[in-house]
Amino acid sequence: MAEKKSVGHAYNIDFLNVVFAACSVFLLLSVIWMVWDDYDREWKNTQRRFNQLELQVTQAQLQLAGRAVDKGKLQSLEAQQKAAAKNVVANQKKVDELQARQKDVENRLYRATQEYQAAKATYDQDRYDFEASRANKQSGVEKKAQHVAEEERRLNELNLAMEKATADKDAVQKDLGQYTGQVTAIGKQIDDMTTEQTRLKKRLDVIAPSLTKDYFRNAPLLDFMAPTIKIQQIILPNVVDDVNFIHVPKMDRCQTCHLAIDKKGYEKYPQPFTTHPNIDTYLGGSSLHPIDKIGCTVCHEGMGQSVSFRDSAHTPSTEKQKEDWEKKYGWEEPHSWDYPMLPVKMTEASCAKCHKQEIYVPKATNLDLAYATFERAGCYACHKTKGFENVKKPGPILTKIDSKLSPEWVKNWIRNPRAVKPTTWMPRFFYNSNNSGPEDAVRNEVEINAIVAYLFSNAEKHEFAVKNPPRGDAKSGEQIVKSVGCQGCHVVGEGSREAVGPRRTFGQPLENIGNKTTYEWIYNWVRDPKHYSPNTYMPNLRLSDQQVADVATFLSGLKGGAGDGPKATPDQPAVDQVILEYYKAVMPFEDAKAEIAKLDPRQKQIALGQRVISRYGCFSCHEIKGFENAQAIGTDLSEEGSKLVTRLDFAFITDIPHTSKLAWFRTKLHDPRIFDKGRVLKPEEKLRMPNFDFGDEEVNRLLTAIMSFQREIQPPAAMPARSARADYLVAGRTLVHRRNCVGCHIIEGDGGDFVKLVADSSLGPPLLTPEGARVQTDWLYAFLRGPIPIRPWLNVRMPTFGLDDQNLNGVIRYFGAMSNSIGPFRSHDVVRAASTEGTGKALFEKLKCQQCHVLGTIPKDQPTANLAPDLRMASDRLQPDWILQWLKKPLDILPGTRMPGFWPDYPKSFYPELGGSAEAQILAIRDHLLTLKGGPSPRGNASKAANNNNN
Amino acid sequence: MNFLKSIINAVADPRLFFLLACGLLVLVVWQRERVASNVVGYGGLAALAIFFIFGTFDPNFRLIVTKPDNVPIVGLIFLLVFFIWYSIREGVLNDRRIAAGLGPIEKAESDRVWVWPDLVYIELIALILCSVLLIVWSIFLKAPLEQPANPANTPNPSKAPWYFLGLQEMLVYFDPWLAGVVLPSLIIVGLICIPYIDKNPKGNGYYTFTERKAEITIFMFGFAVLWSSLIVLGTFLRGPNWNFFGPFEFWDIHKLAALTNVNLSEYVWVRAFRTGLPSFWLVREIFGILLVVFYVFALPVILAKAWFKGYYEKLGGPRYYVGTGLFLMMMALPIKMLLRWLFNLKYIVAIPEFFFNI
Repeated sequence: MAEKKSVGHAYNIDFLNVVFAACSVFLLLSVIWMVWDDYDREWKNTQRRFNQLELQVTQAQLQLAGRAVDKGKLQSLEAQQKAAAKNVVANQKKVDELQARQKDVENRLYRATQEYQAAKATYDQDRYDFEASRANKQSGVEKKAQHVAEEERRLNELNLAMEKATADKDAVQKDLGQYTGQVTAIGKQIDDMTTEQTRLKKRLDVIAPSLTKDYFRNAPLLDFMAPTIKIQQIILPNVVDDVNFIHVPKMDRCQTCHLAIDKKGYEKYPQPFTTHPNIDTYLGGSSLHPIDKIGCTVCHEGMGQSVSFRDSAHTPSTEKQKEDWEKKYGWEEPHSWDYPMLPVKMTEASCAKCHKQEIYVPKATNLDLAYATFERAGCYACHKTKGFENVKKPGPILTKIDSKLSPEWVKNWIRNPRAVKPTTWMPRFFYNSNNSGPEDAVRNEVEINAIVAYLFSNAEKHEFAVKNPPRGDAKSGEQIVKSVGCQGCHVVGEGSREAVGPRRTFGQPLENIGNKTTYEWIYNWVRDPKHYSPNTYMPNLRLSDQQVADVATFLSGLKGGAGDGPKATPDQPAVDQVILEYYKAVMPFEDAKAEIAKLDPRQKQIALGQRVISRYGCFSCHEIKGFENAQAIGTDLSEEGSKLVTRLDFAFITDIPHTSKLAWFRTKLHDPRIFDKGRVLKPEEKLRMPNFDFGDEEVNRLLTAIMSFQREIQPPAAMPARSARADYLVAGRTLVHRRNCVGCHIIEGDGGDFVKLVADSSLGPPLLTPEGARVQTDWLYAFLRGPIPIRPWLNVRMPTFGLDDQNLNGVIRYFGAMSNSIGPFRSHDVVRAASTEGTGKALFEKLKCQQCHVLGTIPKDQPTANLAPDLRMASDRLQPDWILQWLKKPLDILPGTRMPGFWPDYPKSFYPELGGSAEAQILAIRDHLLTLKGGPSPRGNASKAANNNNN
Repeated sequence: MNFLKSIINAVADPRLFFLLACGLLVLVVWQRERVASNVVGYGGLAALAIFFIFGTFDPNFRLIVTKPDNVPIVGLIFLLVFFIWYSIREGVLNDRRIAAGLGPIEKAESDRVWVWPDLVYIELIALILCSVLLIVWSIFLKAPLEQPANPANTPNPSKAPWYFLGLQEMLVYFDPWLAGVVLPSLIIVGLICIPYIDKNPKGNGYYTFTERKAEITIFMFGFAVLWSSLIVLGTFLRGPNWNFFGPFEFWDIHKLAALTNVNLSEYVWVRAFRTGLPSFWLVREIFGILLVVFYVFALPVILAKAWFKGYYEKLGGPRYYVGTGLFLMMMALPIKMLLRWLFNLKYIVAIPEFFFNI
């Protein structure tokens, strides 16, 4: 400032004083603001709110604990204590004297102990000094040796004094006990009764509002020293974060806000204060995933170190939750963390991080459903994925297409499969968002015609086993289809694919099958699927020829729409144009022209068909002649869940957040070609993933599957322990899922979709979780090879799957491992006490076992739901040990079973026999059961079935 | 409004942006008498503020400008404009006094310095205000906790710290060994050398322009145009893949810029002589090498005899050659920029055989 204010000053000092004062006020205000800003942090307020909640909950728990205490007993104890106290008062003088002596002795003991400890410390030091001097051959060692010996003597004296004081104290206490012992003993009893109350009271003392805590330890600015409100973190050496240069132990601070996540009693409170909904499996100290070993973010993802709602990368599950969060927490799409939290329903995707080798994880219902959907849609066929390498091609074989389908039907089918069968998994390749413009129609039709031409010209001849089969009765056919168990794998036009789920769409949907193929084909297929397709998973249901005819007649009558007709009729120049485009991509233009000129129109179609099939990867799902060794055409998905969002191409799709991986995959799955939108592309440059018309729920399942395909970074310490049993479980679980056993049976709490169709679950396929403990392994082997009816009154039947020995052993080992049984080889001889044989029979009759159980003849007066297997099979079929367990507590093994538990007060018994011992009674009944012989057995069938697998 | 935005986007193209910055410098120097008025100074600042306020209504502009990393650069723009204007104004006022025979105002009371309490007092006030600013800043713009650095997934665009963005911009035109090693070293060496080269006592301790026309203009060109405006350009106008984006443009990662630059050798051999490139690098690059040798070694000598004759006589040989050498190095950047823009010239000398490109 060039103008001078006065002599001797560059500035007006009075004015500067004002400026200085104002600035100081600003500084003070900003410092106060800073302190307040720190005091007012999100997580601190959350903890303050939790303190109040914890106070309320603990007070309520204290009241509850008070009510739980036996009041009468407590009062009588207190009265006793009072009476005993009177006794003490009567001898007050003596007691006072003894207490004074006790105090005196205790003081002496304390002094003696202190002296001894000090002497011991000095002795240890001097002894070391002596030892070191001697080892180093220093002078004056003898003197030191003497000194140490002297100290040792003194130490012994002091020790004696200490022991004497202790003895004196015990003596005095014993004397005193004569007068006060009773009071103390009763007091201890009272304490035992009120432990829970005492614990809660102590907790209340800690959390109750207090002057020091609220106004000093947690006060603004002072709260840096020893606050009670502080960040709660756990460090997890066994699960790691990949920080790119190194793997570091995870550090989760989630509990800073989720304060009750591992505490029971907060189930009904809203987030963030709720208890984990599955605390028996997760977080609980005795669960398989304790919080101090597994933490939070290894499953939920998100930034564990963050204590802010937004930065920890929460992900909303629904649109509504998103809006709520935006309002409440200023939530925005996470972009400073590569792995935002998974929406709650997809959390099971993280199971695969540690349970990687298992694929199907028990209790992970969502993940298992996700993988089932992933397999059914055949994603793994085009996209190589670790864990899904050896799964069978999902589509039917096309090598014998000529005998099954007509070219016209196939064209309509390829054009839009869901116009023919709304529930099919076959995706749509043509007329999608990037090739349904009017200019694309001709090319689409050319390509469809070419595919069909190639398939039919490369079909081998197929001889039907039964030519011109007889017709049957459609009505009884329908009855068979709806009862025998076809619906475990096939839908017959009921509900959408999404609603029915992946297990019941394991096989082709049966709707509209009458339009698809001939009666002859259906008849032969139902009669013996492996004749047409040797590797098919379709089992043999052992239907009679008449039943086969009925079923085939019913199925061939299922007719629907013909599908979408051609949208253009391409002429020869159009075909030439397309084939030229395909050829010039792999060879020089002139060569391509020359090559094409050599072909006649039919050959052109076939040559083009081969190129089109290569391009779209039809061979990935279907067996097609000429493509036996073709490689998968899609992106490898093995680590897709770890892919960074920056690696995904959002192109010109701007209505989804470009920071969200889930949004990209969701959009892609809903319309696989959407990222071509707005781009200028030649036909051969366009995206080619087909459209499956996935529903929202299916997309969510597939997202779960994709998010589970993670890079492996967790150390072996985090993985479940390997053992032979674990391996059997893994292999078997995979088998029963991939063969769709879980379509009908509930195994390990998963599956059993067919059971839901049966009116009464006891009329459906049995629960197989305890099967390994239940039946004898060699019986099971025989049964699986040639099933016999266990409950002949059921309509549904176990089909003959024709498993090879490897798979049979896999299943049997799996059941064994599930029940943790000792192994396949067991002696089933039972030592019977002759004395109990009669009693067993008597009890058998007394308990009216035969009222429901078959014993050669089916009881007449019972509703079918009550009927139970023929007991003559027991000795051949059941494990003797299991019969005991079963009789003891049937409901524990099979919840919902109709088998009554006869010994609810086990080991006491209602029945007087055998001295009223339930154990002896059960044993007697079991022994009697094992004497019953002559029931049906699969053992004879097995060899027959092996020889004659076709019927 | 959109039309206006698209005009601004177009003007912000690095070529126009740089030429406009040069033009502005020329205008400021040439019209300094008018620039020195309060109307221009505060009016300019107000116009700048209006531009930013108007800009923040645009989501793309807002995203870039309000990014906590970029906020200081917004401040830098305002401070830079203010202080350049202020120094010009003070210089112009003094020049008027000197022309009237009064001498610069700073010399009027050169025997007195008000230290206590004046200087100490305003320093204390400045200190308090800076503390307030920093505290409030730290409350408003919190530093986020981000994902760990990933060498396999570098941010796109990967930007140097703001004070090095000028250097990073040079990487567009020069190889790293030049733009990252030689030129920055020369900048530091050059700044250290200034007092030893320039021993002219005029302008010492007071503002002036007319007494030091060339020096001030050269310095302002180096500092304001080559250094600061390239920082602004690097911060706000360089997006994914180091592509250029206008201030109102969406940073689309797919934006493509055609790479059609060619080397000087190709101009000579392929386009002029209509032959192929010679296989031996010395023959192939001989013209470029000669050009560089001429620029570095012959040009100072020629200039000493022609345009810079006065300087040569005033400074003496050693000072002249060091000064001119540094000046030519500085000018190498705008020259290369112009060559790139006008002729798509990639390298003057391109010897990939041993990674030597100029």
